[in-house]
Amino acid sequence: MNPEETDNGISRRSFLRTSAVLSAGVAAVAAGLAPLRKLGQFSSVDEFLQKYYKELTPAEMKGVLTRIEDEVQRQYGIRPHVRDYKPMNGVEFVYALNLTRCVGCRKCVHACVAENNQSRNPEIQYIRVLKMPNDGTFDVDKSEHDYAPKSVPVPGSFFMPVQCHQCRNPPCVKVCPVKATWQEPDGITVVDYNWCIGCRYCEAACPYFARRFNFTSPSIPASQLNLNMSYLGNRPRYKGVMEKCHFCIQRTRAGRYPACVEVCPTGSRKFGNVLDPNSEVSYILKNKRVLVLKAELGTLPRFFYYFDV
Amino acid sequence: MTPQRKSSLVLAILTAGFAVLAFSFARVPARPGAIVRQPIIAQDALAIVPGTVRISAAQLVASGGDASGLSCYSCHHQDSPPEIKMGPDNRIVLPKEHLDLIISMRNCTECHPANDPVKIDYDADGNVLVTKGHEGLFAMAHGRNSRNNNCYNCHDRDQLDQLHTPDGEKLKFSQATLLCASCHGPTYRDWNAGAHGRTGGYWNRDSGPIRREECTSCHDPHAPAFTGLIPMPGPHLLHPLPRPPAPPASENHEP
Repeated sequence: MNPEETDNGISRRSFLRTSAVLSAGVAAVAAGLAPLRKLGQFSSVDEFLQKYYKELTPAEMKGVLTRIEDEVQRQYGIRPHVRDYKPMNGVEFVYALNLTRCVGCRKCVHACVAENNQSRNPEIQYIRVLKMPNDGTFDVDKSEHDYAPKSVPVPGSFFMPVQCHQCRNPPCVKVCPVKATWQEPDGITVVDYNWCIGCRYCEAACPYFARRFNFTSPSIPASQLNLNMSYLGNRPRYKGVMEKCHFCIQRTRAGRYPACVEVCPTGSRKFGNVLDPNSEVSYILKNKRVLVLKAELGTLPRFFYYFDV
Repeated sequence: MTPQRKSSLVLAILTAGFAVLAFSFARVPARPGAIVRQPIIAQDALAIVPGTVRISAAQLVASGGDASGLSCYSCHHQDSPPEIKMGPDNRIVLPKEHLDLIISMRNCTECHPANDPVKIDYDADGNVLVTKGHEGLFAMAHGRNSRNNNCYNCHDRDQLDQLHTPDGEKLKFSQATLLCASCHGPTYRDWNAGAHGRTGGYWNRDSGPIRREECTSCHDPHAPAFTGLIPMPGPHLLHPLPRPPAPPASENHEP
């Protein structure tokens, strides 16, 4: 019997060689997979296993909100208040915009960016103000997005801000393959940023150019973060998810006006509960000349344009 | 080949394979490097845009210090802005010397005492002749073609800080909205219903109060038309938008 061989028939040399090769292999595997640790700062087991929004129990929702607060605190160094505002009974939100009064100052655009924690760079804006020629055609193909005159309003033009129309027959909801976007009982079409897979079908389906996609991680200065956040609303978005105007869900479901309404210096923007006959939107729908954009598509928007005089 | 040698060979090949994997991961990043992000919009872009909302200091205090639409640079120089003090709730604390300031609205009785009424001369068309030194003090442009330029249409002849409607009803400055309503009935009706004018606060009256503005908060009664605003920066377009083709200059295709 060879003295170098043990009882199992493995020599000391072969054992050492095998173990050296094995440990080198393990080290190489670990080194090879190391970059995976950096993938997705936010992805956690809890997030991966999170249930569908409508199936979450209140206790589970509380855990989800705490997790999101943790995530935001880790990324921005400030702890926000993330809440899940529920729709109110007997409330259906409607928006009305006065085309006679709007001067196109774009204050609504930037108030919306600040309120809803939209990415500053790359720039994401929910509201697009169109400068339309006042030639009676009402043709959006002739509109200008990037007007920059010294002063607005401009003679011969009128301005038409376009944002999510919160349709009663929303094409974006129909095309979503994972039901990550849906219409709430109070009329707001919302997006669950944890459920969205980023296929962008809804962006293609929307006839109003209302949906925005996060092609990269949004960047917001921590000092400009709005800490009053809601799950379906203005919490920071992830890379690769869709977002859109949600009528400032964190404000309107708490009874307040959206940020764009509050900031409008000409009072062109009106908002309220259409089921309340005394609300200003009910008055406008009853008494003003009202139109909807692209009415022929049958999307039945909750966003109305109207005229004075 | 012995089984030992065979297993060693397999292990060596595997090790080499993972080493190549590790090397390639280290060399080729799994994701593109960090993009250097330049700010597209100046962060103080909101601060430099003058607004049209003209409010008195008293209204400013009543609004809780919401100075978002105020034209501060009509007096303050833009390059040396005044130091702004913030209260505990992050709202601007208004200095004492501003408490009686009327912004963008001139109060005649600031200079002309009530017991020494102003004598106003008119030209042949009934327009007020603005005396020297008063040019630019008030831009009188009320009504189409400035046809409502007679001071005493609204102001009391003997007491300029008293207002009166065409029916002769006496009103105070604080009731200016009712004076406007005496001519602008449909607009007043819309304003009462909430359809005209800036709104803020709460749409749900059970949750809190709605914030409304009076006529003179936004309109200068001497020149009620809006003078214009500097638009805020537009969207940052990665590619220029397609423009409709320019119509042919010379030919006329009218049927």
